[in-house]
Amino acid sequence: MTATSATTTTTTTTTTTTTSRRRETDAQVGLVIFLGATAMLFAALLLAYAIIRAQVPGAWPPAGTPPFPRGAAAANTIALVAASLALRRGRHWGPWAALGFGAAFLAAQAALWHHLVAIHLGPGAGPLGEVFFALSALHALHVLGGLIALALAGPRRLRLLTIYWDFVLVVWLVVYVAVCLL
Amino acid sequence: MNTNANADAGDDGPTAEDRDEIPPAPTGFLRRWVFSTDHKVIGRQFLFLGLGFLAIGGVMAMLIRWQLARPGAPVPLVGRLLFGASGGVISPVAYTALFTMHGTIMIFFAVTPVLIGGFGNFLLPLLIGARDMAFPRLNMASFWIMFAATAVLTASFFVPLGPPEAGWTAYATLSTAIGAPGPGQTLWVVAIYLNGASSVMGAVNYITTVLRMRAPGMTYLRMPLTVWGFFLTSILNALFVPVLAAAMVLLFFDRVLGTQFFIAGTTPGAGGDPILYQHLFWLFGHPEVYILILPAWGIVGDLLSFFARKPLFGYRVTVGALIGVVILSTVVYGHHMFTTGLSPLLGESFMLLTMIISVPTSLIVLSWLGTLWRGAIRLQTPMLFCLGLVFTFGVGGLTGLYLADITADMYLHDTYFVVGHFHLIMAAALLMSLFAAIYFWFPKMFGRMMSEGLGKLHFWLTFVPLNLVFMGQLVIGYEGMQRRLYDPSVYDFLKPLLPLNRGISHAAYLLGAAQLIFVVNFFASLARGARAEMNPWEVGTLEWTVASPPPHHNFDRIPLVVRGPHELAHPAARSLGRDWLGQAEIVDDAPAASPTPPAREPA
Repeated sequence: MTATSATTTTTTTTTTTTTSRRRETDAQVGLVIFLGATAMLFAALLLAYAIIRAQVPGAWPPAGTPPFPRGAAAANTIALVAASLALRRGRHWGPWAALGFGAAFLAAQAALWHHLVAIHLGPGAGPLGEVFFALSALHALHVLGGLIALALAGPRRLRLLTIYWDFVLVVWLVVYVAVCLL
Repeated sequence: MNTNANADAGDDGPTAEDRDEIPPAPTGFLRRWVFSTDHKVIGRQFLFLGLGFLAIGGVMAMLIRWQLARPGAPVPLVGRLLFGASGGVISPVAYTALFTMHGTIMIFFAVTPVLIGGFGNFLLPLLIGARDMAFPRLNMASFWIMFAATAVLTASFFVPLGPPEAGWTAYATLSTAIGAPGPGQTLWVVAIYLNGASSVMGAVNYITTVLRMRAPGMTYLRMPLTVWGFFLTSILNALFVPVLAAAMVLLFFDRVLGTQFFIAGTTPGAGGDPILYQHLFWLFGHPEVYILILPAWGIVGDLLSFFARKPLFGYRVTVGALIGVVILSTVVYGHHMFTTGLSPLLGESFMLLTMIISVPTSLIVLSWLGTLWRGAIRLQTPMLFCLGLVFTFGVGGLTGLYLADITADMYLHDTYFVVGHFHLIMAAALLMSLFAAIYFWFPKMFGRMMSEGLGKLHFWLTFVPLNLVFMGQLVIGYEGMQRRLYDPSVYDFLKPLLPLNRGISHAAYLLGAAQLIFVVNFFASLARGARAEMNPWEVGTLEWTVASPPPHHNFDRIPLVVRGPHELAHPAARSLGRDWLGQAEIVDDAPAASPTPPAREPA
C-alpha cells in the first residue's frame, strides 16, 4: 500500500504537467473557435457594407460626403501594432505595455469619432461615416475586451492574449483597408 | 464475460491518465445549485428555464387560436386580467404582439435552451466519457447570460407602447424607429443579442469539448449520433449566430443612434436598405432551422436504434448526411426571399440548392426506416415520441418541397401553408424529440423513472391534435388565408374558413390541455417516481455506466471505449444473457478493437 502511494505521487506530478499543457491547448482551441465566430460577425458587417455600397447610385462615397481623414485613422494603427509587438517582448513588461498601447488606441479612436461627428461623418450623416462607425465601434468593443483580459490574466495567459491581440490588429487592418482606402 | 475491472493506474498510458484527476465536488448551496460549473446542474438549469418559457409560449399560442376561432370575442377566464383595457378582447395590437412574442420565445427561449442548453450540456460530457465541459466557468456564464436575456425580453412587456410587434423575424422597417417607436423593440434586440452571445459561448464550449475531451478510444465514428448532432449544431451556431448579432447591432444603431442601415433613402444619396436586414436575418435564419433540428435528428437516430434493439442502419452514411446537411444549409437561405424581389438567377440557384438538401435529408430518414425494419421494437414512451417525429418530420419535410419551388411559393408565401410547414418541423418534430429526450434521460437526470402510463397517454393526446392543428394550417393556407391576419373573417373569401379555423383551435386547446399530463407526470415522478437503476433502458452508451443521477465527477475512472454506440443484437452478448454491449465493455469472445484492458468498473 505504501509503495503504491509513492508511485501514485510521482504519477500525479507528471500528470499535473501534462494536464496543464493539455488545458493550455484546450484554451487555444476554444479561443480559435471563438475568433472564428468573431470573424463571422465582422464578415457579416462587411457584407452589409458591400451591399449598401453596391446600391448607392454613382460613385462611392456619395456626392457631398466630406473626405475621410485617412491619415488620422492610419496613425491609430500604430498603437495596435505596438501592443501586438509588446506582447512578444516577454512576461515582465510586455502585457503592461500592451495594456497602455491598447488604451491609447481606444483614446485615439474616441478622438477620431469626435472629429468625424464634427465634420459630418458621424452616425446619421451618410453611409460612409455610418459604416466606419459601426465597424470601428464593434472593433473597439473587442479591443476593450482584450484590455480587460490583459488586466485580469496578464502574464499568465500570454500566448492566448498574443493570439487575441493579433486578431484584433488584423480585423482593424481589414476594416481600415475596406472602408478608408477602397 | 465482463473481464477485468482491476485495471491498474499505470497500465492505461498517458492518454487515459492525464485527465484522470477527480475534481472536488463543491459544497454550499450557491456553488452547488445556483452558480454551479457542473455541466449536469447547468443542463438542468437550462431545462427548467426553457420549459418555463415553453409554457408561456404555449399559452400565447392558445390566445392566438382563440382570436382566430372567435374573432373579437372576449377571452374566457384570463381575458380581464390580460386584456383589461379592451374588456377582455384581444386587440389588434395585442394580437400582433402575441404572435411576435410566441415565435421569439419558442425559438430562442424555449427550444434552444431545452434542447441545446439543457440536453447538450447534460449529455455531451457523459456521452463522450469526460468529467465536465472543456470550460466549466464559460458554461456557467453562458447560462447566466441566457438568464439575463430572458429578463430583458420579459421587461419588454412592461415598457411604454408595449412589447415588440414586428414578428419574430423583426423585418425592417417594422422594427426600426419608424415602425416601432417604443423601447420594447430595442429591448427585444438586446435580448436576442444576449441570447446569441450565450449560444456562441455554448458553441465554443461544445466544439472544444468534442474535439479535445473524448475518452480514449472514443473515435469520431464511435460517437453516438446525439453527440454528432450537438457537435454539428455548435459549428453552425459559431458560424451563423454572429451574423444575426451583426443584424442586431446595426438595428440597434438604427434605433438608438439614428443611423440608416435599414431605412431606405430618407436623405438624398444616402440611406440603407430594408432588404439588407432580410439578407442578414435569413443568412442566420436558415441555418437556425438546422441548428435546432440537428440535435433532434441525432437523438432520434440513437433512440430508434436503442428501442428497435438493432444497430443503426447506415451509421457512417448518416454521419455523412448530417455533415452534408450542415454544408448545404449555409447556401439555401434565399428561399425565404423568393417574393422579396431577388434576381431570377439567384432565385433559381437557391431553389436548386434547396431541392438538393432533400437528398441527404432523405438518407437520414432512410436510416431511420432501415433501423426500424424488422427490429424487435419496444414501444415505450421515448420510442413513441421518436416514431411521432419520423412521421411529423416526414410530412413537414415534404411540404418544404412545395415552398422551395419558386412558382408554388409565389402563391403559398405568407399564407398559413408556411405556418403549417414550419410548425410541423420546428414545433411538431422538435417537440417530439424534446419529449423523447426528456422521457429517455429523465432517469439519468433525476434518478427516478417517469410514469409509462401517463407518458403514453401524453403521447397520443399530443400526437393526434398536433397533426390536426398543423395539417389544418396547411389546408387553410392552401385555401389562401394569409398569416398574421387579426380577423380573417373581414375578407369575404376567407369567411368559409371560419369553421375550419374553429376546428383547428379546438384541437389546439386539446393539445395544450394534454401538456398538463406531462407537467403532472414530470413533477410527480420528480417527487415520488420509482428509483431508476443505472441502466433502465438496457443500452450501451457511456452515460448508462454511471449512477443515476451521476456523481459530480461523472466517471470514477475515465472509460476506455472499444466499440460504437449501437451494439445491440450483438452475438457476443448472448453469453451474458442480454442483447447489448457497452461501449467500454470488454467481452472475452468479442473481438475488441483495442488490446488495452478496460478502465471501467463492472456494471
